[in-house]
Amino acid sequence: MSVPPELAGLSAPKGAMWRALRTVVTGYEKVSSFSGRGRPPVRAVARERLMTVNDVRPEAHGVVSLRLVPVDQRELPAWLPGAHLDLVLPSGRIRQYSLCGDPTERACFRIAVRRIADGAGGSIEVHDTLRPGTVVRVRGPRNAFPFIPVARYLFVAGGIGITPIRPMVHDAIRRGTDWSLVYTGRTRASMPFLTEFAELPAGRVHICPDDEFGVPDGKSVLAAAPDGAALYCCGPPAMIATIRAEIPAENVATLHYERFSAPPVVGGTAFEIQLARTGVLVAVRAEQSALAAVRAVLPDIAYSCRQGFCGTCSVRVLGGAVEHRDRCLTDAERIDAMAICVSRGSGRIVLDL
Amino acid sequence: MAAATHLHAADRRDLDRIALHPRDVHFEWSDLPLRWIPREAFASHLLNVLHILLPEGERFFVKVFAEALPLIKDDQLREDVLGFIGQEGIHASAHQGVQDYFATQGLDAGGYVREVEYLFRVLLGDRHLPMVKQDEWLIERLAIVAGIEHVTAFLGNWVLNSPALDAAGADPRMLDLLRWHGAEEVEHRAVAYDVFMHLDGRYLRRARTYAVAAFGLCWLWGRGVRYLVANDPSLVPRQKVRFRDLVRSGRRGLTPTYGDIVRCGWRYFQPSYHPSAEASTSQAVAYLAGSPAAVAADQPDR
Repeated sequence: MSVPPELAGLSAPKGAMWRALRTVVTGYEKVSSFSGRGRPPVRAVARERLMTVNDVRPEAHGVVSLRLVPVDQRELPAWLPGAHLDLVLPSGRIRQYSLCGDPTERACFRIAVRRIADGAGGSIEVHDTLRPGTVVRVRGPRNAFPFIPVARYLFVAGGIGITPIRPMVHDAIRRGTDWSLVYTGRTRASMPFLTEFAELPAGRVHICPDDEFGVPDGKSVLAAAPDGAALYCCGPPAMIATIRAEIPAENVATLHYERFSAPPVVGGTAFEIQLARTGVLVAVRAEQSALAAVRAVLPDIAYSCRQGFCGTCSVRVLGGAVEHRDRCLTDAERIDAMAICVSRGSGRIVLDL
Repeated sequence: MAAATHLHAADRRDLDRIALHPRDVHFEWSDLPLRWIPREAFASHLLNVLHILLPEGERFFVKVFAEALPLIKDDQLREDVLGFIGQEGIHASAHQGVQDYFATQGLDAGGYVREVEYLFRVLLGDRHLPMVKQDEWLIERLAIVAGIEHVTAFLGNWVLNSPALDAAGADPRMLDLLRWHGAEEVEHRAVAYDVFMHLDGRYLRRARTYAVAAFGLCWLWGRGVRYLVANDPSLVPRQKVRFRDLVRSGRRGLTPTYGDIVRCGWRYFQPSYHPSAEASTSQAVAYLAGSPAAVAADQPDR
């Protein structure tokens, strides 16, 4: 057994048992190496699907819904309420949209998109360039907002946040559970699927546009919950924060909301990273994370939370000044390491990559 | 999960898969007794082994799976692995926190921890080997982790369904740590196995590595509980750990039973085995959506 030098300092426990164990492991290593000869080659798995936009429909002021059908016309994978798609737009932008159609319909996916004028351009591209007949690449569905089968729900949706909630409400109706929905938005005209929800029992559906009722406060929203409810909440971050501030609450058993992983970079400046193992120079833009820039060159690099707390992306720093923004490294660790998902450099830094 | 009854097994398997993400949990341990199930030295310390074994073990999982990323030719599986790694890293630091707290209370597990470190970092560590052999050693260790993950999913499922711990007056903070951890183990229970199936998938390797994982875990766990019971300064008079202690604690529902452990292993050897059938994702999701630590985690304003 040849042990890397950095571990030579870790002293072996003494005793016959550990000596025997070392012998066993050396033999085991040989078995594993022999076993590897028969290992089948790793097969690549294609996860992308070509889909045709075959219906574009206005759903509210600034909101369109799209119906996507697979180019190969094969049956689509099953999904549960809360699932989303990755939509690869013709420009190469990738955006995630919740599925808002009927999960039992296996021939098409439905999504709805609000036009965000001051966003990063994805929603504008959907509105301005996707027409019936346009072919897009689609990944998923994936579920980051899992819907659990319980007896009582409170659904809270803000504006376009109704998209994952819509199939949840229909599932709750189908199963005959106790539920209520608080649906907010700026104005009635801006709220998609409103006529559909207005037809549901008035005792269960509370439609509260801001221009009629004011911005809703958390307490009155939670008052609509059946006792012991699972609260499913989707909408703008401010709305979710308002709801979260009321939890724990007596009548709410569990709180569910969708997490959006990579928060935007705030107050960053551009810098450069030199990858020591290859000498490659990576430019990091002011609004980009070091991780995102490095991933373009090293797609297999490990990371996880993208918020600076899990420590997975921590790498050794060989030179340069680092501005630490993480919550996981100790001061001692920060001397020669950084979490590249949030921390930044100034000028040029050298990383052990 | 919901509405899945009309679907085929393969569909259900996919539906059970949720996008994984680590949760930034924090625990505060002041005044936690070393034996946090009142009057239950054996059961408390059997579960306390988690705090001295897992930090190093889970850091090992993270290292192995991070190294395996370049071998994976499936984007969805790679995404699962990234979520898995982050969750395991947080588990390691959460248990490390308890281990450090125990040291301040006079229960220093250093001797045991050094053995575990040697085992994972050296005996099961990286080798300077030719490229092909390097891959095999990586996949072998990854397959062992897949076996261990079957056990952790079993333990996670057990702790989510162990009302006897509450009834015995166990410390609620510790129960929340164990159940948050258990629920995330249930949430990501298929990832390591799916990676193994993607990279190799042969039954013989699966069975062989499970045997290694199961024997290794039983041995380390037994050593750990004896170490803790022998070194707990507040345990007067001194006690010895006996095999029948687990019979008793299992009967009372404070730990799994020998029968549970044997049946758990038996299932992994079934050719039709898949982790999705092992526990309930919905139950795990429900626990995480109500857990004090998980609900307080990643508060945007913190």
